[in-house]
Amino acid sequence: MKETAVEESMLNGIWPVLIVMGVAFAMVVIVYGVDSVLPGAHDTFHDFRHVIGIPCH
Amino acid sequence: MRLKPLDWKRGIGLGIFTGVIWGWIVVGINTLSGAFPFENGLLYSLITFSIGGAVFGIVIGGFMVVMEGRLPFKWPFPNAVFLSTSLWVVLSLTGLMLSFVKPGRYHHVTAQTIQGLGLAVILGALLGLMWNRSVGRRGIRP
Repeated sequence: MKETAVEESMLNGIWPVLIVMGVAFAMVVIVYGVDSVLPGAHDTFHDFRHVIGIPCH
Repeated sequence: MRLKPLDWKRGIGLGIFTGVIWGWIVVGINTLSGAFPFENGLLYSLITFSIGGAVFGIVIGGFMVVMEGRLPFKWPFPNAVFLSTSLWVVLSLTGLMLSFVKPGRYHHVTAQTIQGLGLAVILGALLGLMWNRSVGRRGIRP
């Protein structure tokens, strides 16, 4: 019972961190248009990148 | 660190909602300012800016929950503005460094940079207001 509570507690701490880190990685891919990670990321978010003031070509 | 599932789910949910609204505001502000002439149509821009906004919102909302108690201010509003602006500054400075490394690929435009900084403050302010409204001034936990 106690072990289950500890595992649940750890999961509740780890999951949000993993999700936020995963989305933060997606943000970096979008912001810098990393086509090698997500083909088309550069063209798809080209306008977004310029409008929010991130250097682009 | 122990987070209630409801806490971080609510934080991420607030981030998505605020980020999408912010994405539409960004389209409106850039249309008025003309800092960057859109290369795609309005519907396309609304969709991509919603996705981009939601991603930014999730990251900032997530950091608000994960870093609770480690942020510099007592209230969610200044913390959200601080996080949003800091994140933008880090991304922008990294972009600036990339422009030195690959000048043909990345280059800096002052008008867009100023607009971007203002938009980052607006995103933080919106998220802070939503946070205050949804979970109270003291933070996400009761």
